[in-house]
Amino acid sequence: MTSTIRNTDVKQKDAEHAVVVAVTTRAVFESGADDGDGLHGMGVAFPLLQALQRVNKRLLEENPAESLLFDVVLITTDSQQQQQSSSITSSTRHYGLEVGRFCFSSQEDFIESLLKNDVQLFLSTDRNEALQASQKGVLSAVLDQQVAPSEQLRVMLCGDAVVRPDTGPVPESQQAAQSFSARLGSMRRRFGMLDSPLSIVLVTSSGGRESCSVALRTLRSRGLSVDEAYSLAGAPRSPILSVLRPHFLLSDGVID
Amino acid sequence: MSQNNSLTGSGQDLTSSGNRAQWEDARTALKPSTPSRKPKPPKTENAITIGVSARVLFNMEKEQHIYEQQGMESYIKYQVEHETQPFSPGPAFSFVKALEAVNTQLRELYPESEELFDVVLMTQNHAHVGLRLINTINHHQLFIERFCMTGGNSPIGYLKAYHTDLYLSADPVKVREALEEGIAAATMFTPEKMAEVSETQLRVAFDGDAVLFSDESERIYKAHGLDKFFEHEKAHENKLLDHGPLKGFLEVLGKLQKKFYGKGQRMDCPIRTYLVTARSAASSGTRALKTLRSWGLEIDEALFLAGAPKGPMLEKIRPHIFFDDQMFHIEGAAEMGTVACHVPYGIGQRVIKREMNDKETSSAPK
Repeated sequence: MTSTIRNTDVKQKDAEHAVVVAVTTRAVFESGADDGDGLHGMGVAFPLLQALQRVNKRLLEENPAESLLFDVVLITTDSQQQQQSSSITSSTRHYGLEVGRFCFSSQEDFIESLLKNDVQLFLSTDRNEALQASQKGVLSAVLDQQVAPSEQLRVMLCGDAVVRPDTGPVPESQQAAQSFSARLGSMRRRFGMLDSPLSIVLVTSSGGRESCSVALRTLRSRGLSVDEAYSLAGAPRSPILSVLRPHFLLSDGVID
Repeated sequence: MSQNNSLTGSGQDLTSSGNRAQWEDARTALKPSTPSRKPKPPKTENAITIGVSARVLFNMEKEQHIYEQQGMESYIKYQVEHETQPFSPGPAFSFVKALEAVNTQLRELYPESEELFDVVLMTQNHAHVGLRLINTINHHQLFIERFCMTGGNSPIGYLKAYHTDLYLSADPVKVREALEEGIAAATMFTPEKMAEVSETQLRVAFDGDAVLFSDESERIYKAHGLDKFFEHEKAHENKLLDHGPLKGFLEVLGKLQKKFYGKGQRMDCPIRTYLVTARSAASSGTRALKTLRSWGLEIDEALFLAGAPKGPMLEKIRPHIFFDDQMFHIEGAAEMGTVACHVPYGIGQRVIKREMNDKETSSAPK
């Protein structure tokens, strides 16, 4: 049994134009019971939420009537968290998080919640949750602990082809990835080259410069111009991740 | 803006948003037609990684001018509008071509080995300039598969992640940062007219003090004059000089040379190294040579100029690249067509730093 509650502290976003990003409460707040005062500790997704908020703030500075904004939804994905609705809402208020809605769902029905709430990007620290959502057509990514997170929202796109069977339908999550790319691209264009609150980073791990070139052109054809590009041509990705500091990685709709 | 792919040999239009299959088709269509299979880039830990910035690899003077006069937005707009127009070669171009020639010969002799040069394009440019840079690499048929386009961020972290053995840039600030992180680096200057260099033999020339060696002797010279310098060097003839920032690079060159010697290619080795120093053979040269020998480093030719200008000697040698810590020698070399690179290390830099602070202007992404 799911329930969706609006956060009355926060001005609601325009449903038609906003980019709905759902983040699990486990990612936002430290798991476990609250520490007696009804408040949870800050979790892994905190820097991400702050970065999303900063993007919104800058978008509104450019245009006070802007409707292409991030609309953040906090979602519970298990019954234990589902029970903690009051501490979740009060913690959100305490930290001043710009969360539009709360979805209180359990393991069985959180995906239904994502679909009902027109979520365009789902972020979780739990890989299985992200996989499940991805399989049902929701663009998803796994959140990791960040070392020295940046203030600027940094979205990393993995440009390599993931091996897929030749036959078979295009996964819905890939369509979701394409439309998300286009909207991200529009958002990015609201800012200039310098001092943007958001940066799109493309990394191609194998295939050399041609691979990267194709990725750049394909993304551009979707309406997304990338800020930074790295062609690794087989070099390992982990040494570069700590320099790149992405908030999350997107893999064209398929979790890699 | 048109998706003109004439440089990469295909007219396929990519404007329809593609699915995975289309992406793969596009990649096949865009591949330049090469008769043989392209070799794989070596693993970073095995390779000798050379990081070059866009402005030294290619001639981007016009674009640099646009950036300085009209700002970033105009610069990017211009770059994107001219995306299919390849840049012409910059000062590092012939050096990179020579590295590739060495690789070809190494692959022939040691087909299984990954001890090869790996040239990485390390630029602070935005990825908007990416397609033009990739198109240019394709046009000149350079073997560059790895690159970092950092979109305005410092490339230093990436230099370290790739275990870069040498970094060349037009920006002295970045070069200094790299040196501070222990990466061999130098600021490359473009000579008015570039002298012709070999396409088959890589030639690298080094100054001695504050490049291969530390600047300890230069300190003495600056503090106490030439006579004291000679005295000191003679007295410490058998004491090793400490190493300088480019010693490691000479070392890797020596390692590759030995691979050629191992296959009987000593007389016509595809790599040749030179020491071009203001020291004189009789008095202060001994200490330099003894130091090199005890480091196990061989240098093919040691030229002791005893203070004579380096330009004419370099003009005879025709190195692809020359490293020196003193701008006076860099300018002299460039005047005579040598691609000279400044190593901003040691006591010789105090004056330079002050001058730079006075007239430092913001520079374009490289």
